[in-house]
Amino acid sequence: MPHKEATGDFVWAHKDCVNTVDRSAITAQNQAMQDQSNRMLPYDDRGWSALPSVWGGMGATAFLGLAALTTHLTLGLLPEPTGLFLFFAAVLLSAVRFGFWIGIASAFAAFAAFNFLFVLPLYTFRIAHPGDLVVLAEFLLVAGLTGFLAGRLREEADAAKGRAAVLEVLSSFASELAEAHDLAAIEHALSAHLAALALGPSVVLRPTDEVLQITAAFPVEASLDEASLDAADMQAADRAFRRRSTQDSTQPGWQGARFAFVPLVQNDTVVLVLGHHSLNRQRSDLRYREQAIEVICHQGNLAIERMGLAKAADEARITADRESLRASLLTSLSHDLRTPLATILGAITSLRELGDTLPPEARADLQLAIEEEAQRLSRYVDNLLQMTRMQAGLSLRLVWVDPGDVVAAAVARAARAFPTAQITVAGADLPMIRAEAALLEQALFNLIDNAVKFSAKPALVDIACAASTAEVTLTVTDHGPGIAPEAINHIFTPFFRANPAAPGTGLGLTICQGLVQALGGSLTAESPVQGMRGSALHIRLPLPTGPAR
Amino acid sequence: MTGRPLILIVDDEPQIQRFLGHALAASGYDTCFAATGQEGLTLAATSDPAAMILDLGLPDLNGKAVIERLRASSDIPIIVLSAHDQEMEKIMALDLGANDFVAKPFGIGELLARLRACLRQASRAPAGDSIRHGGLLIDLPAHSVTMGGQPLRLTPKEFDLLVTLARNPGRVLTHRQLLLQVWGPAHGEDVPYLRVFIGQLRQKIEAEPSQPKFIQTEPGVGYRWGGSD
Repeated sequence: MPHKEATGDFVWAHKDCVNTVDRSAITAQNQAMQDQSNRMLPYDDRGWSALPSVWGGMGATAFLGLAALTTHLTLGLLPEPTGLFLFFAAVLLSAVRFGFWIGIASAFAAFAAFNFLFVLPLYTFRIAHPGDLVVLAEFLLVAGLTGFLAGRLREEADAAKGRAAVLEVLSSFASELAEAHDLAAIEHALSAHLAALALGPSVVLRPTDEVLQITAAFPVEASLDEASLDAADMQAADRAFRRRSTQDSTQPGWQGARFAFVPLVQNDTVVLVLGHHSLNRQRSDLRYREQAIEVICHQGNLAIERMGLAKAADEARITADRESLRASLLTSLSHDLRTPLATILGAITSLRELGDTLPPEARADLQLAIEEEAQRLSRYVDNLLQMTRMQAGLSLRLVWVDPGDVVAAAVARAARAFPTAQITVAGADLPMIRAEAALLEQALFNLIDNAVKFSAKPALVDIACAASTAEVTLTVTDHGPGIAPEAINHIFTPFFRANPAAPGTGLGLTICQGLVQALGGSLTAESPVQGMRGSALHIRLPLPTGPAR
Repeated sequence: MTGRPLILIVDDEPQIQRFLGHALAASGYDTCFAATGQEGLTLAATSDPAAMILDLGLPDLNGKAVIERLRASSDIPIIVLSAHDQEMEKIMALDLGANDFVAKPFGIGELLARLRACLRQASRAPAGDSIRHGGLLIDLPAHSVTMGGQPLRLTPKEFDLLVTLARNPGRVLTHRQLLLQVWGPAHGEDVPYLRVFIGQLRQKIEAEPSQPKFIQTEPGVGYRWGGSD
């Protein structure tokens, strides 16, 4: 497992237990991140004074051996100081390659070996000339300086590499946050990038009912079950949650916990607790990484807050929409139910209580008013019921229907409801369609009702029927003033009324459109249609594509 | 003028105008109609109606605005037609000076009764030295009240409250109106306080305090002096 190499110094407890989190999803999401973090890890972060390793010692010995061998083989062939320079080169290489201490050690070894092998008297460590001590000092100076400089150089290179890696993590985190639209995505981004920064596994815990639960972790397979956080870890996490303060296991007084836990606090509430592998205090880029971890925690917190605000705004808007629709419905109910009722009750009580004193024509008019208002109530109730049915999810019973029959039925009903209106029907025989006759009739009736309402009396309403190979079009045209251009886009909006002074509910066209759409068709409005006046509403219904009728 | 009182009906619903026209005509009134508040104010100024029937839900002016403007120049009786979901509107209309209200939908008898009460109240001369209702006699200069000849002992506030109510027979006085008039501007919202005084007053003047005849309750709105009927 590649991340094992990265995390190195401890091994996760693996346990197969049931998780509340869907691992496969998280795994997929984290895959790219994991690859990325592997790319940027690990790197050599030894300092100039790093302790020598066995490999370093062996390497330095090999260099010296090589120098000694070459000096021995070329003895007499090359000028005498050449050997000294070869030994210098070996010390130099060791210091560059293996650091300060190896360099110093190899300076001593080189001096000793050169003295032993090539300085008279041969094969003794005796120093014949005091000038040889100068050679030893030079060896030491060269080795020390070179080792120190090489170490510093490597240190700076490492730090630069580390900064680049940290910057890469930060920028990848920022871009991932920008795309995160839910808490889970933010949690995954946090855990993956924390792991990359802290050079070890990370967990994200979310408080649910005052109990912390792991909602994201990195690497995924290793730590999603709580068993992999041992008791000390959980205790530290809980302490971070309760005290709302960072709990770092490397701080004095802590023992046992392997993680540092950082709470994300919003309005005095802990929204998440982030656990990351505690950084090695000896690291040269420790501060840099600590700052980056702070940045990530801060940005994550902001992202969560932003998401919360956006969600709250969304909810507020939906609530406002619903409230406004409800308020419209209430207003409509109170007005459109009450007015006919008030008229009916008033007229009936007038007839009963004043019957004898009322002139005959007044009595007839009151009776007519009662009839008209009862019909108006009935139409309103029809519309309300249709709307309720549509909102409850209309279940259609489609049968073969002759649209011409439906038009005739709607016209007959309209003629009863509006005795003074003149309704004409024009058009050829129509092919049969699949529809629910009652719904189509209601839609047509609403259109005729609308046309009558917006026409001067006596209302003239034209119904045109047409068919193409693909659809049937039923057009209801009135000769009224037409629809204002600014209103035409709103006429299908619930409770929108182009003329608030005119009687009506603002529901008729909305319901009509709902009905037609439920039948698979479309309803469009066109106005003006003749010169500056009139409006036409087109119901278009598709012809069935299946076997012919 | 035919001698029949002219009633101005301000309502935007043609159907309501229609049956009210027939019913009022048959009950001995002349009628004129306005569909908007502005039109109603104009008609009230030009045609000198005896009373106004005003729908609170008008398309242009709020019904309250109509009352406010009308009250600046006239004190003809105003009967407000209100809906059940317009409780606050109704109370505010009464506070502004409407005389009475009828909730929609209503029977014509109810409206006619309210109309008659308002017109009678309007035609009555301004209160004199005493008010008499049934066995109740209120002597204003003497600050004394007798019931069937028996003197009643009322506190000054109870007396003021009784006089305020009795001077407006048939008219709905809102809690606020009563509190302002009897206790002053600092007590406009002390409805529970008012209720206590009404209870005490009923104990003293009503034969059956649980079924009051003089001081009738309009729930949530105020009280009405019923002693005149």
